Amino acid sequence: MVLVLGAGCCFVKGYVVEHLLHFRLLAKLSQGRMFSFVSKRLSLMMMTKVCCFQRNFSSALPPLVPVKLPSKMETHFWYVLPDEVKSESLLSQYSELLSPREKKNLYHMQGDQFKKSALLARVLVRTTIARYQTNCQVNPRSLKFKKTIYGKPEVDWENGDKWCPPPLHFNISHTSSLVACGVTVNVPIGIDVEEKQRRLKNKILAFAKRYFSPDEVKLLTAISDPEIQRQEFIKLWTLKEAYVKAVGRGFSAAPFNTFTIRARVVKMGGFHHFDTQHSEASEIVVESSDDPENLTRNWQFALLDLAGSHYAAICIEKENSAGGVTQNSNVINMWNCMVEVFCDFFAGEAGVPMRLTVWKTIPFVEDERVSGTGAVVPISGLIKQL
Amino acid sequence: MASVTGTSACMTSLSCSFKQTQGRISSVNSVSLSINGKSFPSLRMRSAPRFRVSCAAKPETVDKVCQIVKKQLALPADTTVTGESKFAALGADSLDTVEIVMGLEEEFGISVEEESAQTISTVQDAADLIEKLIETKSA
Repeated sequence: MVLVLGAGCCFVKGYVVEHLLHFRLLAKLSQGRMFSFVSKRLSLMMMTKVCCFQRNFSSALPPLVPVKLPSKMETHFWYVLPDEVKSESLLSQYSELLSPREKKNLYHMQGDQFKKSALLARVLVRTTIARYQTNCQVNPRSLKFKKTIYGKPEVDWENGDKWCPPPLHFNISHTSSLVACGVTVNVPIGIDVEEKQRRLKNKILAFAKRYFSPDEVKLLTAISDPEIQRQEFIKLWTLKEAYVKAVGRGFSAAPFNTFTIRARVVKMGGFHHFDTQHSEASEIVVESSDDPENLTRNWQFALLDLAGSHYAAICIEKENSAGGVTQNSNVINMWNCMVEVFCDFFAGEAGVPMRLTVWKTIPFVEDERVSGTGAVVPISGLIKQL
Repeated sequence: MASVTGTSACMTSLSCSFKQTQGRISSVNSVSLSINGKSFPSLRMRSAPRFRVSCAAKPETVDKVCQIVKKQLALPADTTVTGESKFAALGADSLDTVEIVMGLEEEFGISVEEESAQTISTVQDAADLIEKLIETKSA
């Protein structure tokens, strides 16, 4: 039935390509990948999509496979590998999803690889957010974005369609070889991805002395193997970037040298660099030399080895910490304080892990849930992959 | 956009004022002319004396910044990098930008605060900031 709809909406130009895309999507579905989840929706999609189809997908792309919003305790992480997106006609259809301003920015970019990953970053964020609109189809092209006063991008729902916007938070990061988008509900998120093989032009310790905190410099200096030192540097960089992006107030609001990020092995105390033997039981914490303690205790981190080629850092705000101000009573505040003191007393008791689902995607073509597979290897942080 | 590269000495002051009138954030922010490839010589002549005080950085500074940027981003030799070039458009991610700032600090013997670094989006911005910091340092 998808094929029938697809054929009806295909235009002559690109007919064969579009038809192939439909076949491929259906083939993937029937292989069972996401079938159980999507099958219930397919019949509903058939009904509702008939009217939406022409409106949404004027360039005859198949519908996006919708996804339920992450629950309050969950993080969704989507990524695209630009090298897997080879079709010129698909890339050209992707360009059609961009706003005029995004197209203009893209036009001025230099370097084909960079341009491609910049395009895929916009496509990924638009299609990912569009997927979560499960009550009515959203054309990814119609999404509007704005920036907070601090420059953090967010969705501008005002100009969107008529339903109640979800409290969705997102953050993107990209290199020329991987493009990623993280999504949460209710809590801010920041992500950063970096190629594992990334080399600095400057000397690592000189850079760290200039930009990192004294404790972090000490930790890096203690690593004698230059390759391990470089890897630890990159991991630390991604974590610090993810934190600053999650806080969302810009580089200058949280200068890198005013906070320290480190891994704390749970139940043992003490501080180690990130690649510990007990990596599954190590928690990543941030300590600020400026802010009062309870601000930095609010953040949860995960550090992953992604697709074998990248480090990915995710930072989200912990749910309850949105503040004592929203709590109902002083009794609850007091109880929360007692719980925190209790946890601190038994320093190193495991906190609540980040519940994480990871998808590798080529929007409109293929979605593959890869959490729990070899594509996503936790390095540090309390993580539960779903 | 009209391209005034300022390679010859006599063009320097004109190119300097012309760049200011392209609407960059500066002390004279009330003027924003989008010329769109047309040149208005009479307009430039009128505005030149007004903007000479808050002139843009020397071409040599801009060139040095271009070189450092090209090296950091490992751009092919034929890539055009000018004062107007935006770091983001050249493919600089956050780590590149910080490395570039560090390279500029070393080259020019200055120290760039994060607040200032955040406001830099083009090569020209960087060059202007550098000259301002050098001036403040030697004052």
